[in-house]
Amino acid sequence: MDPEAARLEKQHVHDVYESTAPYFSDLQSKAWPRVRQFLQEQKPGSLIADIGCGTGKYLKVNSQVHVLGCDYCGPLVEIARRRGCEVMVCDNLNLPFRDRGFDAIISIGVIHHFSTKQRRIRAIKEMARVLVPGGQLMIYVWAMEQKNRHFEKQDVLVPWNRALCSRLLSDPSQPGREKQCGRPERSHPCLPPCTECSCSVRFKERCGSKRSRSVDYEPAEAGTCCAIISKGGGGENGFYNALGKSFRSWFCSRSLDESTLRKQIESARPLKSTEARAAGAVSVQPSSQSNLDLGRQEPLAAREQNLDEDVFLETSQKHSEWLRAPGTRRHLNGDHQGETGRNGRGSFLGSSDTKEKRVAAGDLEEGDPSAGKILRRISAAGSTDSIPDDAISVEGRQPDVRDSRAFMRYYHVFREGELCGLLAESVSELQVLSSGNDHGNWCVIAEKKESRD
Amino acid sequence: MKLLTHNFLSSHVKGVGPRGFPLRLQASEVRIMPVEFNPDFVARMIPKLSLGEVPTEPIQGYEQNEDFLRTMHHILLEVEVMEGTLQCPESGRVFPITRGIPNMLLSDEQTEA
Repeated sequence: MDPEAARLEKQHVHDVYESTAPYFSDLQSKAWPRVRQFLQEQKPGSLIADIGCGTGKYLKVNSQVHVLGCDYCGPLVEIARRRGCEVMVCDNLNLPFRDRGFDAIISIGVIHHFSTKQRRIRAIKEMARVLVPGGQLMIYVWAMEQKNRHFEKQDVLVPWNRALCSRLLSDPSQPGREKQCGRPERSHPCLPPCTECSCSVRFKERCGSKRSRSVDYEPAEAGTCCAIISKGGGGENGFYNALGKSFRSWFCSRSLDESTLRKQIESARPLKSTEARAAGAVSVQPSSQSNLDLGRQEPLAAREQNLDEDVFLETSQKHSEWLRAPGTRRHLNGDHQGETGRNGRGSFLGSSDTKEKRVAAGDLEEGDPSAGKILRRISAAGSTDSIPDDAISVEGRQPDVRDSRAFMRYYHVFREGELCGLLAESVSELQVLSSGNDHGNWCVIAEKKESRD
Repeated sequence: MKLLTHNFLSSHVKGVGPRGFPLRLQASEVRIMPVEFNPDFVARMIPKLSLGEVPTEPIQGYEQNEDFLRTMHHILLEVEVMEGTLQCPESGRVFPITRGIPNMLLSDEQTEA
């Protein structure tokens, strides 16, 4: 099905995760509260699949149910296995399961890695096939609409920011891991607890949904998380400035024209120098042929959720190895999960909190005033304008930029309503029960309809 | 890979369909990993299994039969295939199990898509 799409996904999803997998084992990303809740609500004795389980953070949330983790990425699955989880390597597009086996399925940060609509539908239909009638499927995908961040297009390549990682590694002030909002975790120095704690999430209920899925959490303490990050301790100004620059560069968008895209597919070479100067998420124009939304390689069958992984810590690799490694890091805090929340109130549309200090995805306006300006300027001006010096310098010279550009992760970010629309239009075996926005992700809970036979 | 997992695996090789279940399991290395016995959990799992030719009615009162439940617990949850293969009974395609992890990826020609 669509070899071009498969190639793009291979280059910008599978290969990236494989290369960066070794760095994930040190990460302690938390499970999203809403996902945890979904798992905890399942009946004891249920059989659940986590399609795209990555390192397995959701696999042990509920000891009363049996969760099988699946991922396309062998190295990530190995990490989950070492943690004692039952896991396997497989492809979301062709799940190796008999029909109607699972009582529930979660797909957290996976579907957005498929580069065509047809593949996204296929992935969802496969999950619906292996669900028992009445079983539920929870899907999380990155939202295009983000506060304080701007995706120009829906199909983007998100770069891995080497500078950020190396800086974080050298930061001496990392405290031990904390779960509370307001205290940075060692493994998430920049994305702070904001994304991890239970910030307000409101699920919008669909008319006719059978179950109440609204969940309101206590709002995170105002500004605490991000304020800590932005202030930092003594002597950390340099660190946070770098962070700010990294964030800025991280989400500058730049369109990628078709010819460049094709070159990238064919040769896996870094982009041309003019393109390479854009140091941020790259928009990709849809191919004129077929339904390739974005030149991308095979989507992960089960992809690790970017949602939680903020930064990964370099263990023993040298700088130069980072440059070579096809490692786009999962977005910084929040790539998709950008929305943290101090004011996590789910619906980004509804929020009018101008003081939002998401550190996620480069939102360091508090600590780095220039960041906000640059962002706004870029957003307003469009992607082809020259990138401010700051951003370029973070990425380093040409070679650095090219390297990080060559190792970027593909996402199809979803517009509001798009996921529900997709289900309604193309996956009639599922009934949407509820949908909402959680930390910058569109989420849906759907139920497999009882068969009429 | 636990035997419980094996019961849900089916061949997704192109054109195979229901004849792709169950996958033939050959284990060259097996380990026993103790798992805490939870009788309710095991009792609830049993009806989900696809047991082929075995009569589908559960043994009368199996939920209260602790010996039976313990045996099923042991078989389904404590036996881990560390190295081995899973073979599609229809197409013959073999999937490896390595370090306890089955790899079910197919090459393009073998997939439905």
